[in-house]
Amino acid sequence: MKRVVNILTIIILLIPVTGCVEKNQLEQLGLITAVGFDYSDKKDVIKGTAVLQTFDPQMKNISNIISDEGKTSKGIRENENLKSNNKLVSGQLRVVVFGEEVAKDGTGRLVDTLNRDATIGNMLYISVAKGTAEDLLKKNKIEASQNLGTYLYQLIKQNVEEELVISPTLYEYNHSFYDEGKDPVIPILKLDAGDIVISGAGLFKDDQYIEELKLNKLFFLKVLIDQYKAGALELELPIDELKKFIKDDVSDKEKLILTVDNINSNRKIKLLDKEKPKFSVEVNLETRVLEISENVDLGNPEVVKILKKITEKEIKKEMSNLIAHFQNLGIDPVGFGNFYNSRVRGKNFKQEEWREMLKTAEFDIRINNKIVRTGVID
Amino acid sequence: MKVNLYPKKAYLFNTFLVAFIIHAAQAGVGIAGLPRIVFLTAKHDAWISVFFAGVLTAGVIYIILFMLNQYESADLYGIHYDIFGKYIGALLSLIYVLYLLSACFIIVMNYVEIVQAWVFPDLQTWVLSLILLLLGVYGVLGGIRVVVGICFMSVILTIWLAFMLSAPLGHLDVTHLLPIWETKTLDIIKGISKTALSIIGFELLLFVFPYIENKKRANFYAQMGNAYTTLLFTVVTLVSIGFFSEVSLTRTIWPVLSMFKIIQFPNLERFEFIAISFWMLIVLPNICIYLWAATKGIKRVFGKNQRRYIFIAASIIWGLCFFIRARYQMNMVTDWVGRISYGTAFIYPVLLAAIVLVKKKLFKGGKKNETSS
Repeated sequence: MKRVVNILTIIILLIPVTGCVEKNQLEQLGLITAVGFDYSDKKDVIKGTAVLQTFDPQMKNISNIISDEGKTSKGIRENENLKSNNKLVSGQLRVVVFGEEVAKDGTGRLVDTLNRDATIGNMLYISVAKGTAEDLLKKNKIEASQNLGTYLYQLIKQNVEEELVISPTLYEYNHSFYDEGKDPVIPILKLDAGDIVISGAGLFKDDQYIEELKLNKLFFLKVLIDQYKAGALELELPIDELKKFIKDDVSDKEKLILTVDNINSNRKIKLLDKEKPKFSVEVNLETRVLEISENVDLGNPEVVKILKKITEKEIKKEMSNLIAHFQNLGIDPVGFGNFYNSRVRGKNFKQEEWREMLKTAEFDIRINNKIVRTGVID
Repeated sequence: MKVNLYPKKAYLFNTFLVAFIIHAAQAGVGIAGLPRIVFLTAKHDAWISVFFAGVLTAGVIYIILFMLNQYESADLYGIHYDIFGKYIGALLSLIYVLYLLSACFIIVMNYVEIVQAWVFPDLQTWVLSLILLLLGVYGVLGGIRVVVGICFMSVILTIWLAFMLSAPLGHLDVTHLLPIWETKTLDIIKGISKTALSIIGFELLLFVFPYIENKKRANFYAQMGNAYTTLLFTVVTLVSIGFFSEVSLTRTIWPVLSMFKIIQFPNLERFEFIAISFWMLIVLPNICIYLWAATKGIKRVFGKNQRRYIFIAASIIWGLCFFIRARYQMNMVTDWVGRISYGTAFIYPVLLAAIVLVKKKLFKGGKKNETSS
């Protein structure tokens, strides 16, 4: 008997409990799928632009865009909520776009709130807009039937999967931002005749956007950061050594254009000298020829050998230039500092000291390019 | 009060269930925040601390069972009575009961806090703690066998959560873990003490012992339970360190739940909400078994029916919920209980075992406590 009473009490108590939690009905919600942050004209005020997805049983999915100003990102959301007939929620946030100026000043506190809010996922993408985020989100000509947030998400996602850009999820951004001795790399979006395109990769110093890296240089960075499986590389090679193998008359040309497709790569970093510091970087590539500007007989082993040699030289040159450029800027997107930290015992590793050390660091780069295939023809 | 308890045969449970009790009692809310707590002192060698804490626990479990085996079928309360006599023994027993109740309290509160921070920010504390405690009371009213059953079900039903660690495993950055043993040894030892709050639960052996069917085999299964806990905790800490960067990990309150954030299924984007809901299954046996052990103690000291004490104890715990309002208060209380647990779970049983042994040596010709060793 007593047991029955106990069960009944529990059941009765559960009924009012269902009323304790806020109700969220899909038709009455505005799901924020993308947000952009810019500076307003006023001092210390941020302008936020939100792309909403609303559901109406009578109509097809509609996306609309609201923007408002506020001193914090949550304040902006409150203000935007006043403009909408739907309750705004950020659980479906897919893409965050920072205006160029905001990114240059530092994204720190805006990213902090993304991390703090438990309703926001960890796999959303972070990006930087060329110009303002508001223009990017409002002035594009992408069809309204498509939700802009999901569109941007797909745009970045498929390029990440094709390994053309470095994955910029919030998790990865946090990882490289908070790691001492590593800096984030975030894609840059820009408007090109009404279309939104990825124009390059933004190099960051801590949470500040420093410079844009062109996408054709990104290959070299990506190979250094992690294992690489897809993606093509266009190389301009000196033609001299190959001249005698080319059937046509090429006496007036100086460059040979070669496009290779990277099948596989791995890189080994070693710390040679702890004091200086000096690193050795060994990159092993397996490539396949996709396109070549001159008519060369690729069936000839000697040609492939020369090709291998000159591509290695070219890649090495590009890579050294890139690393030297990073050293000048005092940034470390590859994460050499991270590596250094894991190899040296008993030191107090500080990001600022590392930036100074990095400037004088030496790199010994070795490239092994194995041309494994030349397509279906020689 | 009797020193030895001789429960009816129907109340005894299978010896292998000891492994489940130990693991279910050890794994609780603590594991969600464990990697960060240890990381704060032991840095990237935190996993070494966690591992050694497990080894230390194995030693303490051995000593506890050694002590219990000096008697035929006693629990801690009986031993108190035997060693310290009626009044001091009762006092010590009540102090231990207080510790058990406070442990139960912080388990409830920490779980409620997780739910509030992640899923339902505007759910009142008292509502959720009431539901949890009622569920706990309902389980404890069923007696020790139901409590053991809850432990068993909890382990079986939540074991798959461990496999979910494979997702963050793919994002592991090994450089975070190197070089191994760079932290000062003293800090690693401090890290061991920080693990205490998460790894306690094994001391409940002191109370369930009389109900074990084959008391000679208990050590083996208890060690198995603890070994699994140690393995799980070490792996979780290792993965957290590799997954998060240093600064993130020191700032993330529940690293394990944050790691679940990256798991996505096509029809379920936010896996952590499921994980948090399932976490209740991990927490429930903790609540039940602590509540059971505490009220058993009150019954042993004051006599009469255990049922009444269950309701009273649960009401007191529930009443205390109203006093905690903010995260920093919660932190303070958790820290306090963590420190106390270090004494009550690790140091005190060892001291008591020494006293029991000395007493046995002194009164060699004595009465009941020489029967088995």
